[in-house]
This record gives sequence, structure tokens and C-alpha cells, in this order.
Amino acid sequence: MSGAENTPEPEVTRDDPMIAAEWALGLLEGEELLAARGKYATDPDFAWRKEWWDNWFAPLTDAMPGAEPSAQVWDGITARIAAQQALAAPADDTAAPTNVVALEARVRRWQWVAGLTSAAAAVALALFAFAPGRSPVEAPAQIAAAAPLVATVPIGETGLRLDVTYIPESEKMLVAAIGLTADGVHDHELWLVPADGSDLQSLGVVAPGEVRSMVLPAAVTAKLSDGASLVLTREPLGGKPEGVDAGPVVANGAFTPV
Amino acid sequence: MAARPRPTSDEAREALRDAMARLAGGDESALEEIYRATRVKLFGICLRILGDQKEAEDALQDVYVNLWQRADRYDPTRASPIAWLAAFARNRAIDRLRTGKVRGGAVAVEEAAPLADESPLADMLLVDAEQAAQIHKCLGGLDDRTQGHIRAAFFEGQTYAQLAEAADVPLGTMKSWIRRGLMRLRACLEASEAA
Repeated sequence: MSGAENTPEPEVTRDDPMIAAEWALGLLEGEELLAARGKYATDPDFAWRKEWWDNWFAPLTDAMPGAEPSAQVWDGITARIAAQQALAAPADDTAAPTNVVALEARVRRWQWVAGLTSAAAAVALALFAFAPGRSPVEAPAQIAAAAPLVATVPIGETGLRLDVTYIPESEKMLVAAIGLTADGVHDHELWLVPADGSDLQSLGVVAPGEVRSMVLPAAVTAKLSDGASLVLTREPLGGKPEGVDAGPVVANGAFTPV
Repeated sequence: MAARPRPTSDEAREALRDAMARLAGGDESALEEIYRATRVKLFGICLRILGDQKEAEDALQDVYVNLWQRADRYDPTRASPIAWLAAFARNRAIDRLRTGKVRGGAVAVEEAAPLADESPLADMLLVDAEQAAQIHKCLGGLDDRTQGHIRAAFFEGQTYAQLAEAADVPLGTMKSWIRRGLMRLRACLEASEAA
């Protein structure tokens, strides 16, 4: 690296536009990738720059040789669309199919739904929620399986908040508790409140001032369904002890699909 | 399909633009049209990044199912449909690599680096020629080493760590090489936009 070809140059500042470029090139991994996806959902400038790079890099794909996928790919596409239509409107079976996709979809609907392994992940995408500073968005019935869900959990009137990003395909959740500080006496525990009225699921103790990612167990992702929300409770250090009720709720929020 | 005369690329582009607009407007039959017109190119992209037929086919399914779900995401004022779809497909393939479900690294860097023949296949739907010329020009303005690393990232889905290992340099060195390259690239592309 100390070769003569290295002319001294100023260090590159790694600002948002640079991160957008790295992301567009495909270089981001792990938490940085999760953070970028969360930012894409909430920061229009960042999203714009990411798309700017995507668009500029796109012509390079012309150098990638084309290839013919097998015929099953199209069948799979129509089957998945059918499954999603079934989940989105299980009661509305009377509308006449008006096109090929819907028609093929209908044929495969039932056997496919029965075999759908990630139904929970698909349902999770139907979440409707709010975020401060943004007008409520009419969520589409389903969104991309890998599109992140973002929740903002404002902490009282403090202006502090938790930012929670969940990427369904990766089963990973990113919790950013920037600005929170530990008081040395309490911890805060994040809970998922399932819409079906079943028990709260702990998402763990929040690490003040940190961005932390966690892999969610299937039992938790299965409860990420329509109407699920998040609450933050105040607990003794280490989180809620076994056999004791959870502490007081200090904040709540819900996921919004992006 | 074989009996049908091949449309000129202008016609193909126009038909695709039209199908994208119809899909965004809720006409689901447009999806099949888009699939017919773009599957070869998009599958080629997925296959290149993932290096595995099955994974690439799964990624391709994701692409079109996502497209069906969110056709309204496409903004025709910002990108041509094929440029947008190509980026979309590559992003999905990279996502698959990064979520750890795929081993990836289909082609070794040494093998991939030359890419001497970048003449696009004649019968494929191509991204805008002017735009293509510009990115090639700007990339070509970088030193060979930086250009090679940026290409390896783009074409093989290599991470910083993989690139650093292949080049046998510290991770931080690779990062600053590429970031400087990206900074220059951005300046060059922006200058072309302003012109």
C-alpha cells in the first residue's frame, strides 16, 4: 500500500452520499446494511442518492450475459402472487378474474397457501402504523418480503426515541437507542404486542446509546402480524425477572412497512 | 415467441415503459409482458451475482413478485424501465448474498477482473447508450487498480473484506481506495449531468 503510485490525497469523508454509493455497489454488510435500509425508508435525500447511483451503475449490467430461466420460475411467480392475493383478501372470492395472472393464481391458491412456509412473514407486511412527522401512509396489502419494517418508539416528551428496523427475510432486527442513557438502576425492555391477544414477547433489553442488531426467533417473527405493536417497559437491571409482572410501560410504537 | 419478429430496441423500450405504467395502474396482465421482455437480462444478472441456478431463479421470482407488489415504486422520470429493473434485480441478488443464505462468490476476482469483452449481447434489451457511455468513461478515468476493485464489487458482489483479501491489503486500505474511487466517480458523473 505504500507503492509509489499512491499520491497523497485527503481522506474521504464517509458521509451519507458515500454510504449510498457503497450500498449501491453492494459493499454494505450486516448492521451497516440494515442501517442503510432503515435510512432509505426514512430519509428522502439518502434514498434519492441511492437511486442515483443505482441508475448510473445500471448500464454496467449490459456486460452480464443473459440467461434463460427455467419455466418453473414463472409458475412460481404466479403462485406466490396468488398466495398473497389469498392472504390479502380471503373473503373476496367473488370478483371475476380479469387476467391471466389472476386466473392462474386462483387455480393454485389453496394448495399453495397450505404449503406456504413463511406465511407469517407475509402477513407481517400488512402492518399499518404511524411515525411522528410523517403522514399516515396507506400500506399496500403486502409489500416485498425483504422490505424493512420500521418502528419509531418515542419516549414520552423527551424527544428521544427508539428506532427499530426489522428485515423480514433476514429475521434480523436493528434497535437504535441513540440518545438514551443508562441510569444505573433500570434497564428498558422492548416487547412485541401480538395483535391476536397472545402474550407479550420479549425482544430483549435495550442497550442505551447503542445500535444493536438481534436475530429474532421464529416464535417471535410468527407474531409479527397485522396490528402488532411495540412497548418499552422499565425493569430492574438485566430485564424483567422470571415470574414477576413486567414493569411500567414508558413508551410504545408500531411498525410501518416501507 | 420464436415466430414473432424481434422488435427494435426502441420499440421494445417503449413497450416496456407502457407495460410498467399499466402494471403500476393495476393491470396485472402487464407483469407477464414485462417478464417475457426482461427475464433473460434479469436472470443473467442474478446468475452472475449468485453463481447458482437455483438461487438465481429464487432471486428472479423475488424480483417479479416484488415488482407486482410495488410497481408504483418505479419513477419513469428518473430511470428507464430496464435500467431500473436491472438495478432492482442486482439489488435483490446482492441482498440474497448478504443475508447469508448463499455462499456466493461465484467467480473468482482474478477470473472476473479482465472483463475484456464488454460488448453487450445484440438481442438484449439494453440500458440507454448515452448513459452507458458516460459511466464507462468515468470508470475508465479511474486508475486501473481502483477500477478493477469497483468492477469486482459490482460484477461479483464482492465485499470489502473479500476484495481486501484478494488484493492482500488491509481492510482499511481497500475501503479508502474504493471510497476515493467512488468520490471521483461521483464528481465525473455529476459533471456530465451538469454539461
